[in-house]
Amino acid sequence: MNKFISLTKIQIIDFFSKYARSMNTKNKFLGILVIFLPIILILPAYQIVTQLYNIFSTINAPELTITYIYIANTIFIFFIGIAFIISVFFYSKDLRLISTLPVKEDTIVFSKLTSVYIYLFVISCFFLGTSIVIYSTIGELKLISLIIGIIALLISPLLPMILSTIIILPFMSLVGSGKKRNLLIIVGNLLFIGGIVVMQTLLTRMQMDPEQIRNILLQEDGLLIMLGRNFPPSIWLTKMIQGSIPHAILFLAINAIFILILKVLAKGLYRRTLMKFNQEQAVIQGGKIYYKKRNKGLQIIKRHINIIISNPIFLLNTLLTIFLPIFMGVIFLFTGELDGSLFKSTILEPYQIYIYSAIITSPAVMGSLSATAITREGKAFWQTKVLPISTRDNIRYRIYTTLIISFFASLVLGIIAVYFISVNLMTVLISSIFCISATLFLSVIDIIINIERPLLNWSSPTAAVKNNLNIILSLLIRVVIGVIVYFAYIIISAWEASIIMILFSGFFIILYFISKYIIRKIYEDKFIDIAP
Amino acid sequence: MLNIKNVSKTYSNNKKAVDNLTLEIKKGEIIGFIGPNGAGKTTTISMVTGIISPTEGTIEINGKDIRKEPIEAKKNFTFVPDHPTIIDTIKGIDYLNFIADMYEVDIQERKERIEKYTKLFQIYDALSQTINSYSHGMKQKLLISGALLPNPNLFILDEPMVGLDPHSAKTLKDIMKEHCDRGGTVFFSSHVLEVVENLCHRVAIIQKGELIVCDTLDNIKKNSSATLEEIFLEMTKYE
Repeated sequence: MNKFISLTKIQIIDFFSKYARSMNTKNKFLGILVIFLPIILILPAYQIVTQLYNIFSTINAPELTITYIYIANTIFIFFIGIAFIISVFFYSKDLRLISTLPVKEDTIVFSKLTSVYIYLFVISCFFLGTSIVIYSTIGELKLISLIIGIIALLISPLLPMILSTIIILPFMSLVGSGKKRNLLIIVGNLLFIGGIVVMQTLLTRMQMDPEQIRNILLQEDGLLIMLGRNFPPSIWLTKMIQGSIPHAILFLAINAIFILILKVLAKGLYRRTLMKFNQEQAVIQGGKIYYKKRNKGLQIIKRHINIIISNPIFLLNTLLTIFLPIFMGVIFLFTGELDGSLFKSTILEPYQIYIYSAIITSPAVMGSLSATAITREGKAFWQTKVLPISTRDNIRYRIYTTLIISFFASLVLGIIAVYFISVNLMTVLISSIFCISATLFLSVIDIIINIERPLLNWSSPTAAVKNNLNIILSLLIRVVIGVIVYFAYIIISAWEASIIMILFSGFFIILYFISKYIIRKIYEDKFIDIAP
Repeated sequence: MLNIKNVSKTYSNNKKAVDNLTLEIKKGEIIGFIGPNGAGKTTTISMVTGIISPTEGTIEINGKDIRKEPIEAKKNFTFVPDHPTIIDTIKGIDYLNFIADMYEVDIQERKERIEKYTKLFQIYDALSQTINSYSHGMKQKLLISGALLPNPNLFILDEPMVGLDPHSAKTLKDIMKEHCDRGGTVFFSSHVLEVVENLCHRVAIIQKGELIVCDTLDNIKKNSSATLEEIFLEMTKYE
């Protein structure tokens, strides 16, 4: 037990020291602001949960807020946990050391999961935490509910996290071998996520016998049983927070059972998956030794693209964020949630230019690729600094890499969207101008964030591209810009849509040139000072 | 070739890593840069190579200031760091072609030099493999081959012998001498004092960020029979 505590302690200390280091801002005020940034993100969660609470209150069942949020949170944690688990187990730098220590295999698995748990717990706090606080405090203060709710919140990430671990570790050993293992990992995981989403959607759409529904609804807590029928722990958690001891026992028991299952499987998972994965490498052999001259810029851009492509976590993250609209669209079309003819309806006709522009600009909005353009290089960052290229070019090629990936994704989305939305050539042209101007601005502004906070010393690839404040700052910029654009739209909404889009394009072009000027005047010097 | 004038580096935690360091290295010289752990060797080399910038002072390489004319200055040297951390998912030959493109080495020269150095270091046959399959020593040899590829005026190496097998260490020492004989300059740090003693025209010793001596071995020894190791231990003994 002592070894487990020590190993877990070191993982937690490492996690928090990396988090503290990731705040590397010299300005005290900015430092405090950066620490409180995640709290700011609770505000939209508060808004959504309050609305949900009010809706459920009207049918006299406010506790359903917790049930509903817990189910959504569990699904979200399950999916997001996949990327964390792969990163922490298969691509973290400390496994070589840990595997040489005289500790049991299950101790290693559980201690590694501790850092995953911390991430997932923080994520759970946003919606589930907010829903528990709202349920326990609105109207009268239900102290017992609040205390039990906090305990439930602490336990809530365990079930989806363990389920994710038990499924993804063997799955990785299945796809993670052979010469093309990186490709297999990406394709395999995307298919896996897609498959689970489809299965989940099909399950929820499965028609129930009307008589059965009536019987359920006639029961006490009929609505709760109806909502949580596919996932009983959601019923147990809700009842537990309401003070039911038998349901609390059930909820605690299911989590304990999953911990036990993992404990039993841990040794096998460690030996058959982790060790197997680590002893194989994605080595490409053969081919001719060639001598070919290429343009400097092209070589550096190729290098930056290769950094993303060659790391499954970077690639998976990039694909998932950039192509999110495609994934969601395909899944919803496949499951019938979305009807292709919806976008061609006459009601939506005046808004088609906005919809099309939003779709093709989404890779730049969702991607935030420039915000980690330096971070992704990690300790290999020294290399481009000693090469005979100017600082301006060194920054520029990183921006070009973002632009190439973003524009490629926009092009793919643009072509697919044309099939669903009736757009004419002029709409495509204006939307493209908007997409180009917004992408240019976002790619430049994001790199400013990364120069300000380079974070080159990361322990796992997820920490480099996902769990750092650069991404939050980047999203915050998008929220601010979104609010400005929204209010500007309200003022000029009577104007013709194409004129509005051209105006917004001009707005982004101006912002792009301002950001570029700021980089030249301030951030080129700061880039020189980045110490690997 | 390399002119370091009154260079200091203070980190954000107010730690002065290098303090008013002045050092001039002439063309054709091999200079060994030694000092205890944390003395400021890597910080000095990082400033010379433009990885970090000095808080004070100037660094000129072949008359070009590394801050004011970075590209021109960087064209004059290549660098091998103390850790072979490079993007390792590409093939060895991709890496060498990348370096050759950066330093604008033409096809014929790159072919000749790549073959020469990779065969000398016995990694030629591994060039078509991805670098992640290389051992630590092979990565180090690839980095050294890459650094020699542009035939730089100044060859800067930070702890180059770490990870090299005896055969490759001997090859590297021979290459350093040969490079000097052709008019090139070598500036390297090392903890292997025998290498420094046998190879260098002058030795620079740094301690707590300050250069305490930079002279020929004979002058440092002052006619004593002590080895460099004994002198080094005496000069840098714990106060």
